Amino acid sequence: MTLQLANILFAATVAVYLGASVLFAVPLLSSDGSASRASVGGRWAPRLLSLGVPLHAAHIIVWSIVLHVCPVEGIHFALSVGSMFACAAYLLVRRRYRIDAVGAFVAPQALAFLLASRFVGGVDEEPRLRSALLPFHVVSNLLGIALFTLAFAAAVAYLLQNNHLKHKSLEAIERLPPIEALDRAEHRFLVAAFPLLTIGVLTGTIWAREVEAGGPADIARAALSYACWAFIGAVLLLRAAAGWRGRRAALGTIFGFGLTLLVLVAYLIRSVMGAGGTGGHA
Amino acid sequence: MIVVLGLSHRTAPIHVRERLAAGPDALPRVLACISGRRELDESMFLSTCNRVEVVASVRGGLAGMDDARRAIREELARQGGVTSGDELIPYMYEKLGDEAVDHLFRVTASLDSMVLGEPQILGQVKDAYDAAIAAGTLNGVLARCVSRAFSVAKRVRTETAIGAGTVGIASVAVGLAQRIFGDLGGRTVLLLGAGEMAEASARGLGKGARSVRICNRSFDRGAALASEMQAAAVPWHELPQELAVADVVVASTASPTYVVTCDMVRRAMKERKGRTLLFIDIAVPRNVDPAVHAIDNVYAFNVDDLQGEVARGLKARHAEVEAAERIVADEVSGFLTWRRGLEVQPTVVAMRAKARAVLFSELERSLGGRLKHLGETDRAALSQMLESAIGKLFHAPTARLKARAAEGDDAAELAAAMRFLFDLQELPSPRDDESAEASDENERLPN
Repeated sequence: MTLQLANILFAATVAVYLGASVLFAVPLLSSDGSASRASVGGRWAPRLLSLGVPLHAAHIIVWSIVLHVCPVEGIHFALSVGSMFACAAYLLVRRRYRIDAVGAFVAPQALAFLLASRFVGGVDEEPRLRSALLPFHVVSNLLGIALFTLAFAAAVAYLLQNNHLKHKSLEAIERLPPIEALDRAEHRFLVAAFPLLTIGVLTGTIWAREVEAGGPADIARAALSYACWAFIGAVLLLRAAAGWRGRRAALGTIFGFGLTLLVLVAYLIRSVMGAGGTGGHA
Repeated sequence: MIVVLGLSHRTAPIHVRERLAAGPDALPRVLACISGRRELDESMFLSTCNRVEVVASVRGGLAGMDDARRAIREELARQGGVTSGDELIPYMYEKLGDEAVDHLFRVTASLDSMVLGEPQILGQVKDAYDAAIAAGTLNGVLARCVSRAFSVAKRVRTETAIGAGTVGIASVAVGLAQRIFGDLGGRTVLLLGAGEMAEASARGLGKGARSVRICNRSFDRGAALASEMQAAAVPWHELPQELAVADVVVASTASPTYVVTCDMVRRAMKERKGRTLLFIDIAVPRNVDPAVHAIDNVYAFNVDDLQGEVARGLKARHAEVEAAERIVADEVSGFLTWRRGLEVQPTVVAMRAKARAVLFSELERSLGGRLKHLGETDRAALSQMLESAIGKLFHAPTARLKARAAEGDDAAELAAAMRFLFDLQELPSPRDDESAEASDENERLPN
């Protein structure tokens, strides 16, 4: 019964995220941006996404009951929870930051992470190592990745909008938010994500020392995590000190997000391969 | 009968239009002259940069049209300092009756404007209407017609996209700046040059911007525009420093060479720490080196780039003309139906008045003779009975007469026949009749 409910919630969440992704994409692909912005798709996509978030949360809870796993433990659930947080954060700030169209990148990401969390690899049914730092490590990483996901989405939208402006395609620029709003949103998400990721890296380091994880694979994954964190820090520093705004900042954010995905994949592969170690946390 | 006599951008060159135009200060005087003409009942004077029109109702209907036409021409000629009204004939158009109503509705809905769908005309007609109401020259059917034109214009703007998009270089520039910066609040706008285009852009961009700065080769001219626009004037030699501060630069100088070069912009971008900088170059020849567009976070648009947007806006508006015309036609038909109903109203009122007078006179005679024994209650009941009988008896003729009037068929002949058959010599004056029927009008003319 619970498994059936979990499956129904999963299917409903996938359907709603898919619908939201399509509705977000329609105005971007439409030939008349100004008209489509106020179209059915433009109005209903955020509403559909806001329906998807509670469905997603319900699915995570029921699915964790089915598997007897705490929702924030294990890389699979982390992916799912992180994408849900990203959607929730987007819905909270989209009006304030005037970044409605960024949903076109957030919704498909959430869909992809949800599907990956369910179908790629297996879930660690029992975390092998526990620590008092675990909740801090997991929660800060989840929130940090969620905000970083939004920064990435804003950066992608920025580059598209910059491309439209450089090609003087005035009709096309109506489909995306103002380029300054995208740059500002990307920076704010990054600024908010960085301290959380810093806490994640610090707690991860201490935790790794506690559990004496020192294999070559562990060291490689940790090194990749440090590199990723340092790169994001550099993007922020260069913006403040050397005026690396706009295109350069967007490229840096996208590259940094790519590194983060590599870190996640590294942990995911470890989980899939059933390697021992620290229990599958990013 | 309503008549519109005037000239517009379609019929007269600017030097003729500007001679006849009257500003807000001169409007009461012009209105006083026009309304002083005995050939006209009501009148309104509309004067915009593209149009000068007298909208009037003619005393004596079609028969008085020649005199009214001559009177209006004479007054327009006097206003423009033209020797004879006949000199204006080649530039003037004339709309009569149904056509005049249609014209007034179309003008107010901006279907006859130089820039289709521009919103200013509605405000200009409202100003003319207010002035005429204040001067007491609009107080009957024409007042009702003009006020109806406002509702038509609102309906056209609401139900069609006739006002959508941007169709002027200045407004396109404002739209572009908003699409790059979102909100212009907190932004600094720098105008290079102090000509008409700079002024038009400043009016659009300056509304939302934190500050507007005007940099002109002639400092005095820049300062004069700055004081008008509540902006700050800056000396020409400070242009490089100003580029480091401004967010939007509108260039419209008459310089034959670039006044903003790539080196200047690169230096400014270093000082700005990469903050976005938008150039809107509306000058011909161009003022801003187009190569600056390649610099990171710098965007430069010239007149040709913006022209496409103007054309797009106009195309979108023209696509709405058909729908707007349908609304106007529908509203004209509604107004004319109401107006025709009003034409037979005096006959209906006179017919009922005559019936009432005859019947109540007979009743009075009976109550003074054979029925003098009746008490107050019975007398009141008899009066009530007669009122009711009059209502029922005349309901069908009234309704049918009004229906024929609405259809525009032979209502005038029928009304004449009624007047002949019932010997209705004295008709109430149209104005009294209109005010007496005001509540009825409101019910029948859809709002």
